[in-house]
Amino acid sequence: MKSPRTHFRKVESINGYLFALPYIFGFLALTAYPVLYSFYLSFTNYSVLKSPQWVGIENYRELFTDDVFHTAIKNTFIYMLTAVPLGTVMAILLALLLNTKVRGMAFYRTLFFIPSLVPLIATAMLWMWVFNGEYGLLNDGLRRIGVTAPNWMGDPAWAKWTLVIMAVWGTGNAMVIYLAGLQDIPQNLYEAADLDGASPWKKTKAVTLPMLSPVIMFNGIMGMIGGLQQFALPYVMFPGGAPARSTLFVSMYLFDNAFNNQRMGFASAIGWVMFIITLILTLTALKVSDKFVVYDRS
Amino acid sequence: MKIPSSTWSLLSVAVIAYAAVALERAADRQDQTDRITITYWEKWTGSEANEMRKIVDWYNQSQSKVRVKFLSTANVDNKTRLAASGGSPPDIAGLWEHNVSSFADANALVDLTPFATADGIKQSQYIDNYWQMFSYGGKLCALPTTPSSTSMHYNRKFMPATMQSPETAPKTLEELDALVDKISLKKKDGSIQLAGFLPGEPGWWSWGWGYLFGGKLYDEKTQKLTMNCPENIAALTWVKSYTDRFGQRETQSFQSSFGNFSSPQAAFFSNKVASVIQGVWLANYIHDFAREMDWYAAPIPHPASRPDLAGTNFLGCDVMIIPKGSKHPKEAWDFIKFVQRQDVMETICAAHGKNSPLTQVSDQFFQKHMNKEIRLFDRLAREKNAVRVAKIGMFPQIQTEFNNAVQVVNLGEKTPKEALNEAQARMEPLVEKYLRYMGLKQ
Amino acid sequence: MKRKKTLIIAITHMALVALSVMFILPLLWMLSTSLKPIEETMRNPPVWIPSVIKWGNFPDAIRYGERELGYIPFLVYARNTFLLAILTVTGSVLSNALVGYSFARLKWPGRDFFFAVTLATMMIPFPVIMVPVFALFKQLGWVGTFRPLWVPAFFGSAFFIFLLRQFFRTIPMELSEAAKLDGCSEFRIFSDIIVPLAKPALATVALFTFMGTWNDFMGPLIYLVDQNTFTLALGLQAYQSQHGGTQWNLLMAASIVVIAPVIVVFFFAQKTFIQGIATSGGK
Repeated sequence: MKSPRTHFRKVESINGYLFALPYIFGFLALTAYPVLYSFYLSFTNYSVLKSPQWVGIENYRELFTDDVFHTAIKNTFIYMLTAVPLGTVMAILLALLLNTKVRGMAFYRTLFFIPSLVPLIATAMLWMWVFNGEYGLLNDGLRRIGVTAPNWMGDPAWAKWTLVIMAVWGTGNAMVIYLAGLQDIPQNLYEAADLDGASPWKKTKAVTLPMLSPVIMFNGIMGMIGGLQQFALPYVMFPGGAPARSTLFVSMYLFDNAFNNQRMGFASAIGWVMFIITLILTLTALKVSDKFVVYDRS
Repeated sequence: MKIPSSTWSLLSVAVIAYAAVALERAADRQDQTDRITITYWEKWTGSEANEMRKIVDWYNQSQSKVRVKFLSTANVDNKTRLAASGGSPPDIAGLWEHNVSSFADANALVDLTPFATADGIKQSQYIDNYWQMFSYGGKLCALPTTPSSTSMHYNRKFMPATMQSPETAPKTLEELDALVDKISLKKKDGSIQLAGFLPGEPGWWSWGWGYLFGGKLYDEKTQKLTMNCPENIAALTWVKSYTDRFGQRETQSFQSSFGNFSSPQAAFFSNKVASVIQGVWLANYIHDFAREMDWYAAPIPHPASRPDLAGTNFLGCDVMIIPKGSKHPKEAWDFIKFVQRQDVMETICAAHGKNSPLTQVSDQFFQKHMNKEIRLFDRLAREKNAVRVAKIGMFPQIQTEFNNAVQVVNLGEKTPKEALNEAQARMEPLVEKYLRYMGLKQ
Repeated sequence: MKRKKTLIIAITHMALVALSVMFILPLLWMLSTSLKPIEETMRNPPVWIPSVIKWGNFPDAIRYGERELGYIPFLVYARNTFLLAILTVTGSVLSNALVGYSFARLKWPGRDFFFAVTLATMMIPFPVIMVPVFALFKQLGWVGTFRPLWVPAFFGSAFFIFLLRQFFRTIPMELSEAAKLDGCSEFRIFSDIIVPLAKPALATVALFTFMGTWNDFMGPLIYLVDQNTFTLALGLQAYQSQHGGTQWNLLMAASIVVIAPVIVVFFFAQKTFIQGIATSGGK
């Protein structure tokens, strides 16, 4: 005879599978199959038009010695390690400001969110105007306050930073997630803190940030993954990673090889190397974050 | 089971169902016609697309069996490639000349030779430089829509009294350098006001600098990459001399002040550069954006030591191919053949402001053409020194690598020799790999 | 105490205004460009105030291409995009809520492993799976239809599953256990207890899905062939010419028209977030 406990567990398992069914199917057809296929492709020469030809680990060997790939990895990491923290700080700052009860909130919230709504082609064009070395809006402003400004888009030392600035500007997506997270924090925690006479700063430190920590972890990891995959804007703004490959990111190198050079196999190998790097970083982040992320498991 | 509001749910389901059905309908619009419908993907999206659309309309009205459906498609080469790999390519793809060998290497296009033989379309009807872009490995892979050739364009008001006509324009690069030194102007703070010539403007043929000095990037006969040949190094040294002449920082700021190519703020139109290497179409844009400009065109100068290189210029050609997997290759050919008719060809070339790819050109074409120098461009297209893309599918990648070397040299990061040696070392194994994979080499 | 509060509000206001200026300048430039005659869009140095305000750019942008095609493409694109968004938002909210719930609050053998795999899939660069996926839809005969663009939404996406799982986990387990003891079915717990509590998170999923569909460029580029099936994001390309003859003023005007509905959607979606305080705060 089964104990009720086992019975409950079995029902729960069946329910679990049923609830997850759409994704199990989607995962198999739209992710697992393509991924395995691309894993196979990473060991081949494949031009899309001509059938794949097995080359063993040749593509990976080439990546190992490919200076351009190493440049792309370096650029990608520099971008990720600056854009993600700065974007996160900006997004949390905005979310905290927007979570207060100041008048005109709806307006501010919408305003900060608009940048992430602007279509890609328009965004790229807008910022090319902002960063133009000679007549750009930014340098126009800087010159007026007497700062000698760099030639943002033409100088290899500066070109990457334009993308970092744009990432901070377009942080509205993350901001909304933080905002939703902030509003999920039970009010009574703040009321308790008020009774203790806590200062706003102390409340932020003792209540808000710990309660927000699962969201920070989520956004941080998503930001990291997104940062590693940065593609569309540099692709439109800096064709080929110009100047002198200073804005060549791994995803661009991958796309170039897959679709412009028709080296789908090599591109798949790049994808897999990127995938493994991301995987290691994410698992590390998850391990580290276990120490400070607070889940309500009570 | 309790549903919070059954009316609400029902309404949502209805809206969703409606959306799904409406989208199915929109995608499934059948053409009400007895004709065979074929699709044509065209690379241009702006006014050039509209001119091509007129040709398609003309064809559709000229007969009653076939209807060509014209789609102006951005990134047409990548899209055609993906569609062909998925088995649903268009019947005709309007590509660029540098796509031909990559589609041919992969055996992804229909050989037009039998069609051409049957309908009497012959090599002798085309200017040979262009024909070389269509034929590959003994097959006829493509036929043209509109071709181009390139020359120097000079703004007369900046030219010294001794150089007021095409005949007196610089013949050698040394003369050009001397001219630049003479007419360029700097402002008090050291920034550039006028550059007599600037290799980076517009820089569309950066990959071809070596050809001006007698070099090349790839040797078709020996199947060898020649990116670091002495001529190419000499060419980059010459290009770098311009950055040194004006100052690297100054050149960079100056170039970032240039407006878009097709705007009145383009460097040549806004009196920032006195001369520019550009294609036959430039007259079209001068007419639109700098109508007052007094200009003339002359062949690109050659190194003084190499008079045999006179007439070197860069050719391009928009082409049509029939991708493998096309459901109606015969009908597709019928349209391609229509465009090859001299009157049709001259109509579209004139509308795009270009020269004709055909050996036979009517007087009327020359007389009515919007480019007053059209005869020069026609002559340049026939030059034995004219430069076309090399016949290897990965040529665009080689061009990109060379362009990067140009950037690196101009930024002063490496010497021309270092940069080109590196590019050569990087690309050589890739070329070998490509040739082996495509079965072009053991 | 009261003075301190006023001070805090003042500081908040100042910070907001300062940040607003930074955020709004590029947008003002967009607006200014959309109202300029074409000659002024490329002028150096930049012109902020157009010499003539050309409101006509907006109707021109919307009717762009009408003459050649015989119909107003912008409106067709808008309809297509709107219908697509209805389907993807519905599919995405339904499927991700179910799957996220399963990962967050139900125990089943292999769950943690499968969740780790799900997380891992987010790190797969899109171009890598593009060709196999394309081949799959081709085999189904779906290329040239809208199906590749909306059917996948009904099968969940790793990003939203992760997002919702995080939110579902913050809801105390006692709520479910108490309901279970009362004899509630799992689906009932999900639909009557958890979903109402997760409204802000679900609204976020809906909003992001909507934006994703509205701005998706790559998907339509690959799968849609016929011009009358294009979406807005893809249609915007028509203003940008291959060799640079871009109609900047029309592009910007059209972009503003494209983002306006999303701004409106967001403006209303906010209210759901605000309601969310009341629901999940349990005051």
